[in-house]
Order: sequence, then C-alpha cells, then structure tokens
Amino acid sequence: MAEHPLADEDVTYRIGAVDRDDPRVGGASHRTFPIPPPNRGDDDDDDGFHGAVPECLRGPRDKLAAPVNTLEDKFELLPAFLKVRGLVRQHIDSFNYLINEEIRKIIRAKANERVTCDTDPSFYLRYTNIHVGKPCVEEDYIVEDITPQQCRLRDMTYAAPVTVDAEYTRGKEIVTRKTNEQGVGGITIGRIPLMLRSSRCVLTGKSEDELARLGECPLDPGGYFVVKGVEKVVLIQEQLSKNRIIIDVDAKGEIGASVTSSTHERKSKTNIVVKHGKLYLRHNTFVEDVPILVALKAMGTESDQEVVQLVGPDPAYANLLIPSLQECSALAIFTQQQALEYCGAKVRTQSRMGGYQYGRNRRNRVDEARDILAGVVLAHVPVVAYDFRGKCAYVAVMIRRILHAMIDRTQIDDKDYYGNKRLELAGQLLALLFEDCFKRLNADLKRQADAVLSKSNRATQFDIIKCIRQDTLSNGLEHAISSGNWTVKRFRMERKGVTQVLSRLSFISALGMMTRITSQFEKTRKVSGPRALQPSQWGMLCPSDTPEGESCGLVKNLALMTHVTTDDEEEPLRKLAFTLGTQPLSLICGAELHAPGGAIVFLNGSILGVHSAPDRFARDMRYLRRIGKVGEFVSVHTTQGGRLYIASDGGRVCRPLLIVADGEPLATREHLDELKAGRWGFNDFLKRGLVEYLDVNEENISYIALYENEITRDHTHLEIEPFTMLGVCAGIIPYPHHNQSPRNTYQCAMGKQAMGNIAFNQLNRMDTLMYLLVYPQKPIVKTKTIELIGYDRLGAGQNATVAVMSYSGYDIEDAIVMNKASLDRGFGRCIVLRKYATQVKKYSNRTMDRIVAPTESQAGPTGRHRLLDRDGIASVGTLINPGDVYVNKQSPSNTRDPLPNPHAMPDTFYRPTPQSYKGPQGESCVVDKVMLTMTDEGVFNVKCLVRHTRRPEVGDKFSSRHGQKGVIGTILPQRDFPFSERGITPDLIMNPHGFPSRMTVGKMLELVGGKAGAQDGRFHDGTAFAGDTAEDIGATLVNHGFSYNGKDLLHCGITGEPLVAYIFMGPVYYQKLKHMVLDKMHARARGPRVVLTRQPTEGRARDGGLRLGEMERDCLIGYGASALILERLMISSDQFEAQVCNKCGLLAYRHHGTGKDACAQCEDADVSALKLPYACKLLFQELQSMNICPRLTLSDA
Amino acid sequence: MAPTTEPKQRSPSIVVQELTHEKIRFALLHTDTSVANALRRVIIAEVPTLAIDLVDVIENTSCLCDEFIAHRLGLIPLLSEKAVEMEFPYDYAGDDESVTDVHFELNTGICASAETVDVTSNDLVCYDPRVAPVNYHPGESIKGKGGAMEFEAQAAARGPDDGPDIPGVVIVKLRRGQQINMRCVARKGVGRDHAKWQPVATATYRFEPEITINEELMATLTEEEKMAFVESSPTALFRYDEATRRVVVDAPDQARSYGYDGECLKKAEELGKPGLVDIRAKEDAFHFTVESTGALRPEEIVVNALKVLERKMEVTRGELDILEREQDEQVAM
Repeated sequence: MAEHPLADEDVTYRIGAVDRDDPRVGGASHRTFPIPPPNRGDDDDDDGFHGAVPECLRGPRDKLAAPVNTLEDKFELLPAFLKVRGLVRQHIDSFNYLINEEIRKIIRAKANERVTCDTDPSFYLRYTNIHVGKPCVEEDYIVEDITPQQCRLRDMTYAAPVTVDAEYTRGKEIVTRKTNEQGVGGITIGRIPLMLRSSRCVLTGKSEDELARLGECPLDPGGYFVVKGVEKVVLIQEQLSKNRIIIDVDAKGEIGASVTSSTHERKSKTNIVVKHGKLYLRHNTFVEDVPILVALKAMGTESDQEVVQLVGPDPAYANLLIPSLQECSALAIFTQQQALEYCGAKVRTQSRMGGYQYGRNRRNRVDEARDILAGVVLAHVPVVAYDFRGKCAYVAVMIRRILHAMIDRTQIDDKDYYGNKRLELAGQLLALLFEDCFKRLNADLKRQADAVLSKSNRATQFDIIKCIRQDTLSNGLEHAISSGNWTVKRFRMERKGVTQVLSRLSFISALGMMTRITSQFEKTRKVSGPRALQPSQWGMLCPSDTPEGESCGLVKNLALMTHVTTDDEEEPLRKLAFTLGTQPLSLICGAELHAPGGAIVFLNGSILGVHSAPDRFARDMRYLRRIGKVGEFVSVHTTQGGRLYIASDGGRVCRPLLIVADGEPLATREHLDELKAGRWGFNDFLKRGLVEYLDVNEENISYIALYENEITRDHTHLEIEPFTMLGVCAGIIPYPHHNQSPRNTYQCAMGKQAMGNIAFNQLNRMDTLMYLLVYPQKPIVKTKTIELIGYDRLGAGQNATVAVMSYSGYDIEDAIVMNKASLDRGFGRCIVLRKYATQVKKYSNRTMDRIVAPTESQAGPTGRHRLLDRDGIASVGTLINPGDVYVNKQSPSNTRDPLPNPHAMPDTFYRPTPQSYKGPQGESCVVDKVMLTMTDEGVFNVKCLVRHTRRPEVGDKFSSRHGQKGVIGTILPQRDFPFSERGITPDLIMNPHGFPSRMTVGKMLELVGGKAGAQDGRFHDGTAFAGDTAEDIGATLVNHGFSYNGKDLLHCGITGEPLVAYIFMGPVYYQKLKHMVLDKMHARARGPRVVLTRQPTEGRARDGGLRLGEMERDCLIGYGASALILERLMISSDQFEAQVCNKCGLLAYRHHGTGKDACAQCEDADVSALKLPYACKLLFQELQSMNICPRLTLSDA
Repeated sequence: MAPTTEPKQRSPSIVVQELTHEKIRFALLHTDTSVANALRRVIIAEVPTLAIDLVDVIENTSCLCDEFIAHRLGLIPLLSEKAVEMEFPYDYAGDDESVTDVHFELNTGICASAETVDVTSNDLVCYDPRVAPVNYHPGESIKGKGGAMEFEAQAAARGPDDGPDIPGVVIVKLRRGQQINMRCVARKGVGRDHAKWQPVATATYRFEPEITINEELMATLTEEEKMAFVESSPTALFRYDEATRRVVVDAPDQARSYGYDGECLKKAEELGKPGLVDIRAKEDAFHFTVESTGALRPEEIVVNALKVLERKMEVTRGELDILEREQDEQVAM
C-alpha cells in the first residue's frame, strides 16, 4: 500500500463491534467489504489486495443490493483450514520456529555467543550463524540421506546435522567458517532429532505418491520424532503463563499478586503479599518479606507521594496504602541508600540464583541488593543502567491490582481461566535442552582452550574446531527425547515423562496422542478446580476427550481447529504501539499512569506505556492484523481496570473465526464459491481479513454467534462450524449431542483401543505389537470430522447389523450374542502381529555372536528347529508354535579376554543361545516377516514378525461408538438367530437394558440412520449439532418399506414363531477392542514358584497361581471350611517339613548324610518334624537374624 | 405303549410362485410353523455344498497374508451339483480321494502389468468340469488348463448364469512383481460347520395374513377418514374404490406386501374404531423366499433340504421304533 492505511481517513474498515459510534464506520454504501475501498478500482495492481473484490461485486448496483445468501458452505473452510494446517500444526510450527529462528537467537544470545579463554586474552570463538541441515546419517564415512521409515526399521534416529558459522582465532590468524548455499562449510556441532513433516523433513511438501515411495503413510500427521527407531511424541505441557500478574488468594485468605518471570537467563517467582493490611515483597533471594515501600524506595522511588501517585490517586487506594507507608516510616527508611541497606541485610547469603553470581567480585550488601532488585526480582522487566522506573511502575501496577481486589473481590484472577495458561510444545522444550547442551559444549571448549593455551610451548597450533565434541549435543537431545527426562540444570528443571511412545494401536490413537495436553498439576491433589471444564476452554479444548480416573480433567485434548502460537517478534510491535499513540513510560509521571479513560498498555506482560484511547488503539491493532501488517496470532484485548494487553508470545491457544461486521459476516457466498472452486485457500480468507485467529483472552471479549441466523449488530464473530469444538476422538462419534456426556468421554477412551487400519504403510512396519482388522469398513453413519481426518480411509470397525433384544439369556450385563455365520464370513476377524527381535552382539575381545544353520540332527521336520532356514533364521510363512527356535544364535563362551584370532574360533568356542518363541499355548502363528538390518552404530539386528489371525471368541470385547462396550456372551449358529421377513439375520444381538440408564440416544439414531443409509446406498451424516434428522431418516425408511421407527417383525430362529414385539434392528458401527480373551485367559494347576518364599508365582506372564485372598479366606472362615483353608494356604502353596528342637524350640535340621535329626543349639536329638509354610520358616530365620528368638513350643497334635 | 390317537393327518403342499436361476418363491401350505421352520433351518445349515476347504500356499507375494486369502477362497461359492454324489471327508474312510476332494489351482504367474490386477474367481483352474466357481468365465490365460474346456462344453446343461459381463469374485489385487500360486481342495460340507457351505444367501418365510374388513364399522367412516385409513398403511394394503366408495383389500399379492407393522390398526384406533379391520396370520400358510448363492439351483436347494429332512425323519422313526420295541419287550417281561 502506498500510504499508511490509518493516514487515509477514507479507508473504510470494520472491526468488531467495539465502538459503534465511530464516525468512520460508514453507512450501507460501503457494505461489508473490509479492505480495499471501492473507489480504488481494479486497476490498482500494486496494493497487494488485487482480486479481493470478486467479479460479482463489481457488477451493477442492484445485484449488489440483493440480500446476501446464507453461508451454508462455510463448512468448506474446514477442509481448507486442515489442508494448510494439518492436524498437528501446533507441534510442527513450534519445532519449525525452533530450528529456523529460536536456535539462532540462542547462539546469538550474549551468554552463548563467544567462547573465550582465561589464559589467552586474544583467543576467541564467536558464533555468527547456525543452520540445521537435511536429515542424513554418516556411515563408514559416507553421508547418506535418510527417510523416517528407514529410521523406524533400522532403529536409527531421524536427525539432521547442526552446523554453525563461526569466527575464531587459530594462533595469530582469524579464521571464518561459513555455510554456503549447499549447506556445507559450517562447523558441525552435533545432530538434532527432526520432527516429521517439519520444514527440514524430507516428507514436507510431498504428494501422496512421493510419500508412498518414501514408505510413508499420506494420512500420517507427523509431529513426532523417530529416536532409535521408536516414534516419540513430546506431549503438550500446560502451565500458568509466564511474566503475567496473577492476583490470587492464599491459604489464609489474604490477597497477593504473583509473577513468574522467565527470561532466557533466569526464571524467578516474585510475590507481593498482604499481611495484616500491609504489603510486602516476597522473593526467595530475601530471607524474609520486605515491606513493599522499602523495596520501592530501594528502587529509587523515595517519595511517598510518588508511590501513591504510581498506585493511583484514588483515595480508596491511598487509604489502603496507609499501613504500608506507616510501616516504612516506622522503620526510619527514607532514602534509597537506607532502603538498600535494609534489603541488603535480608539477602539470602550463598544464594546462587541459577549459578549466576551478580557482581563477580565480592561486593558490599548494598550493591548486592541493588543487583538483585535490578536483575532477579521481576527479572522480565528490564532495568538498564539501574533505571528502575519501569520496574517501579510494574510494582505499582501489581499493588494497584491487589488493592483493587481487596475492595472488589471479583478482581481476583481465576488460575484455571484458560487465558492464563500457556502450552509448551516440543519446540520450546527442545530449545531449553538445546541451550543447555550448547552451553555445556561451550564450557567444554573453554576448558580445553584454557588447558591447552596455558602451556607455553605447544607442539601444534591449537585449533578449537578440532575440540568440538559432537555427541554432547547429539546424545543430550537424543537421550532426553528417548527417555522423556528433561533435565535443565540452570532452571533447576527436572521433568519426567515429557515424551511418550506414539501409540500406534489405531490411527485414532496416534492422532489423539498428538493433540493431548498434560498438566503440570499434581495428580494426587484432590482439588476439583483444575480438573473442571472451564467455560474459557470453549472451542479450544475438547469437552469430551479426557481420561477417567486420577488424571481426569488434567489430561486434555485440543479441539479440531485449535492452534497453538509460537513466539512473534516483540520489537516491531513495540514500535507500532508507540506509533499508534502509546506514550512511553519514561515520558509520563505517576499520576498520568492511571488517567481515567486511558489504559496501561502491556506487551507480553511488560508495561509499554499509556494510551489515552485504548478502544481505538485496540481497533487499529486489529485492523493492522487483519490486513496482514501484524502477525495473525497477535492478540489485543482490553480489560475493565484500564489495561490493554497485546500478546505475541508463544503457547497461547487460538482458533479461527469468521469476522462479522454490521450484523453480517464479511465472508460472502462468492468467497466461498472461490473456495469451493479451489481458487482460494484458507490463507486467502486470512489475508483478506475475512477470518482471523482469536486467542482465549480476545475470544473472551468478543461476541461470537454460533449460527448465522443468530447474528445481531452487536456480534463481532461467527463460528465456522460448531462441531469443531470437539476434538479428533470425539469427532468420530455420530450424533454425540444426543448422548449423555460421559458416554462420549468413554468412547473417546475406547476409540483408541479399537482395532483397524493403522496407516497405509502398516504392512511395512515392524512394530512390537500391532492389531489389524481383516475387513475394516467405513462407517455408514459418518461425521464431517471422520472425512476430515481420514478415518473413512483408515477405519477401525465394521458395520454390524444389530438387533436390540434379549435373546438366549447370554446377553445380560452388556454381553452380546454373536452370529456364528457372521464370524465365519469375517466379522471381527483380526490379525495380531508381534515383533521378536534379537541382536547380534559384538564383544570387547572382538568376538561376536553368530547365527548358524541347524545341525543335521536338529534339522528334521519335527522338533523345535524345524522352522530354520539354511541361514539359521526362521523361514517366512511357516507355522510357529511356542518353544520353536526362530533365530539359531550362538554366543562366544569367552567375551572378555583378548583372543589371538577372534574371527576364526572353533565351533566349541560358541555356546548355543537360541531365541525361542513364546506365544499363546495351543495356537499356531505364522512367521510373517523377517528383517535383517544394522543400526547406524553398527549393531546387527534380526527382527521377526509373527502373525496370528484370530476370529472372535466368547469373551472378546466389542464396542459401538457410544461408550457401549460389551463382551461376547455366546456365539449362536445362524439358524438359531431371529430372522426378518426379508431374510435378514442380525450379526449381533444387544440387550435393550443397555439403553435406559445410559441414555445413548445417539446410538439409536445411528442405528436408524445406518439402516436408511444401507437402503439408500449412501453414507448418512451424523455430525455433531447437525446431521440427518430423524424425520428424514424415517421418511427414507418408509420409502424402502420399513417402519419409520426402525423396528422390524422378527421370527424366532428356534421355534419359527413371530416374536411378540417388534425389534429395533439396523446397522451400527462396531469396534473390536484390543482386549481379547486369548491374551488374558489363565489357569494353572502346578507351576513355577518364587525362590525366596517357595510360594506360587504371581501373574499370568509368569504362569502364576490364582490367589486366595483375604476376603476369600474370610468367607471360608465364616463358612467353617478349615480344612480347605489349610489346603489352600499351606498344602497347595508352600508346605515345608521342618525339624524343631523340643528342648529349645528353635528350628533344627536333618542331616543329609546320616538322616538323623539334630538341633544345632542343644546338640540334642530330641527333635520333632512338623509341617509349616515355608514363608513361616523364613520369617523365623529372618527374626533370628535380627536377634529375635522365636521359639516353637510343641504339644501333641 | 402305542399312541392311542393319531394326530390329524395333514397333506402339506408346495406351490411355486416364482423361480429364477437364483431365487425361488413358493408357498408351503397345510402344515404348521415347526415344519416350515425346520425346512428353513435345514436349508441354512444342512444342505451340503462344496467349498474350498484346504489351501496349499506355494507362493504368495501379494499384500494379503496366506490365511486371509485362504479365507476368501473358502467363501467363493462353487457350483455344487456334484455334492450329492460326494462324501463328507469326515465320513469317508476309503482311499479314493476323488470321492471327497475336488482340486483347484490358482497360479497367477508374476504380475507384469503396470496397473493393479484383480485376481478373481475366474482365475481359478478347476480340474473337475462340474465344479467351478459360480458364474465362472475363465480368462484367456487359463482357457486350456484343467477342466476348463469340458466345463464350457457342459455350460448349456447347467442352465443360465449372470453372463460373462459380471466379473468374478475378487480374491486379491496384485501389483507388478507380485504372484500367487496356491492349490486348493474343495470339499463337501454343510452350513452348520461353516457359513461357506451355506447354499443360500437368505432363506426366510412369512405368514400369510388374513385380512377381514368390518364392513359395518367401515360404513361409519367418512370419505376422508376412509382415505386416511387407506393411506395409513406404509405398504399398499387397502384400496379406496372410487366406484363403490368402499375400502377393499388391495393387492392380490397381499401376502407378500404386508409387513405386520400394525400401522392401520393404530389408525383405526386413532379414528375411534378399533376392530375396523382384523389382520391375523394364517397358521398353515408360509410364503418362502430362498435366494441361492449360486452353488445350487434354488429349487435343488429346497428339494435337497426336503430330502435331508426326510432322512432325519427316517432316523427319528427308526429310533422311535426301537424305543417302542424295547418298551413292548419290557411290558412283555
């Protein structure tokens, strides 16, 4: 644009409904079009908005005056949005920001930029730039490109080298190293694991075909890492915003303000608290609370009047300040020097905040106090050259807010309000780690430089580059991601479980994991606040998708359209704020700070200054954002107390909304036609100011219409689609708005356990455990979310014809009756693939494991070696039974001592260490795939995939999409099943008692919808808050000769008589869940025992016994079956025959050789034998070892 | 002890109403529900057919795993006329394989096409001219192999099918370089053991409704009410006769159309005239619909089912005779 848009008063624009009286908001002639004024004409090519006025709007006036059509296609914005954004944009954006920008900021930070040397002042190494390369691996000194799929299969890390440009001294010369265009020439400092689909990933921008060629699933969202062959997700972490004033109430009911300051160097928490009506500054560098006035005086605000002015001239505030003022004067502190002395006395000695000592030399306490106040207290407010003005104003604002809250309790902040939360993503977390590793690397270099340069005569010239150890960075990052332990020493951060293995149970479970948010809140605390659904989470977080149990409400999921911001440059915004009329803090006095009508302008939590017309300022900012002059994620919002916040920090949740002005959405049908025709994308809407992102704070002051017909002139925004308030998992449910809400929550949990297709590359994967459905189907009743996320291409269930009736009695308590013929035809059939892997190890004496063909005696058609091929590995396609050998490995008997010829040892040197298969007993599985591969570290791996095809059996778990789970109660032949007059027999029968108490009306609608869909030959829609209506469905059914209510007349398959009731029958999408009887059933007669107690082992995995527990014991006691108790607890468990000395009562022994009994204590032969539990005998001996003497006094039995 | 009273003798009959090469509709008259249901159950579970039961996998480089393809092969319906002459493998103790087994081969060779190729039931090579997948039209590549030639020679005798335009049953899709080579053995079996031996897609019956209009009550209705009453039934059950201004039972084929939905009865009650019409199911007339999978001709299925039923009756009668004799002996002693 030629001139500044604001300078041109003719430019008509609308922003929300903030100020209706603004004269610039024009009349009807300007209609709803936001940006280019109509008088500009269409020859204005260089305005950057050419094409914003579609042809239709340049037409004759009467056409323009015609009523605007409804935006029934605004749903189309969603696929467009997801096309540009994908489902996990938040992760990818965050990581991209790290590798493209943040990483550069880190190396250019003052603390990191230079490596110097204490011994040689002329030495230095200065980083000028940093660059993340493309994913590759160096093997045998050859650098090769890698793909994620290769990494998964070969147990490698998908990582890219990090190179730096640097300038450093080598002897007397200054060397400069720079990365050229091809990305070579820089100094490699390590490797950083790459996020899939990030800007450096090979998958970015590839078409479906190209992705397929790379072995990747086109529907896979990316956003995770592949570390050592394992897919790892960095979960989104939720925490309270940094650098924001939060007013809250402490346990004593006193009001306080707290700020968690966070800068690159330091994290610290500052509190201002009220005690007995007086205000104090609390910070852990001070041993006790400092009166706030003392603190202010120490920061240079010596005059009490100035303090009162800064806080606000209102007498109500001044009155509340009186006790604090009095306290200060009682302490006889009037000058800055006195105040600093007071503070200095309170400074915690040996305090080493984050390892940084302010003032390198030991200085006096006054200086120390001044430094702490400048740099540690409220660290995020910069203090340049000890000019405390900004910080004093900040403290004053904190005080003012406390006082305000004391007068008006509604001013207390809600910690659970989502605008006060920030989400930490992979990029931010990795940045912390990267900086830590980088600092360690530099410290390492410095140490080496110190050591080498201190020697006066060196043999070779010292080249610092040769000292760079790449594994500091590579291993640091790799290890953190693979273990999930985030340890950043300088912030004293010690977090566990930050990353998790990406669950590939089903496509949905993988997607669901990418949108998961965990809270830092402790799970054990019994507070409901943080767990409750907050109204401000509307549209941002899924209200349904949360686990049950201890982490309920603490683990959340993003809604479909939610985006999480990344940091945006502050500097241009600061300049812009000043340009738009913000008076800088340095130019105004305390009284002006709180001038009525004006507002204090905050940028990311720090005070910029004061603006006299905040509403106009906010509107201008928004206007600039809509025309794209300011980042789209910058948010502006005003609050009642005369504060205006501009936020550009990362981690805010936001979502797109259609902009409404004058009671009409700016986007018109024509725009949507452009979209449908494929000429526009989502970004075109964003660029043209038709759609914008709102974060929680800004959303909170907007007036958003849910539907178009609800728009009034006061509305500022319109929802794109109501169902986007649900997340990925809840989006699968048809008609969720008809269900009782916990049912939707249950389904969100169960959808993740459903079997189906995992990804298009599922057959090329070598996962430890994979569950696949043989015949997965698309659900007949779809939702828009299903189409958007690709669930219809990677389904996890089958459309089963369900009859809701009681039949056979094997369907009580949620059990279902299955039709055997349906199972014969493939319903619920699944494939379980399990990986069995072994390593061929190399040992320190240069010997290594070997894999050999079975010997002739072993090789026969029977026996456990029968599967083995000539290479000693099971051949693909053979049946494998428990105990069979699948890799005939041998290990050297000596792996330590050096041997003369380690590669040519005799056969006798090796002992057999065959890998044998342990699978379900009595089932024969098949060797599906065998893969031989080597990791980048040269470890040779043999992976065998064993396949087991299972058909459903009694006890297998199934569920519909409405939180209605059940196990198969019985399987009946088709001839016994009820049949309709059309010859339809249901696939399964569900008991009607499942309905009344659960109120899953959505399931009933799905059933009739599915029935109509099956007759129509089309997929019906069950989208939340929309979907086909029951009336339409009923009409369709009637057209096809069914009853409108979905009920049919059925005949009993056994007697042939018609059933006396009409049966509700139709197709419902059923999921097979991973819980199968085969994996769980367990019984044992005799079996292994624990060595220590000689009692049966515990658990199925160890073939353990079934415990007769306390309560069972109680029953037997109550019943009087004492012999049974004796049998269960001793005879069948750990009976032991012990000898007891009749004289001393201690345990004696039986001599093995002679068979004679003797007591070691009395050397007597008067010994009796008795039976007791071995655990009892063990207890006696343990007591003896503790100098307690248990004696057994025996009487005749 | 012999039964003293003979049950009333019935003479059941079958009236065939429609017969195509894949479907039969007939009325079973003068019998009761138990017989009708027995017939239905036998059709579903006990009429023997042939289906692939054993698969030897020699080569399988396709995307589907062995047991997946084996399962699919099993579900392909095979022409099963020969089933009557064959023996159940579990009944037969002899050595003559030909009595129990029919061999097939599925060998695609290495797929050379750049496009994805469907392997269908038409790629099966049959070695018995009488046993082949339903609607079998072998492709050019396997024309000369196995019993294909004889199969075609006998085509006329077998009667009509859906023609060569209907593609075969897709077994698997192959990409370039993939291959399938399998030997299959089809065996005789019954639907009771596995659904693949079911000869029918649907076998069902319905009761014939008997509709009587209470003309007296009907006469009390106004014209609109009559119209409304006629329209209340979702299936065309009644007709308003313009000429006589009376409601009459519409379709002659009413037996098939009425779904016992009770809508018109509800309407009658709504109109305040319960008992306006009386609809009840006849207890001795059953309208059967039997749709074949193609394995057997529909009429054959019914006849075979009746034969099975007859054999069952004979067995039962034999057992009863023995029982009776034993009881007589006891009485005699």
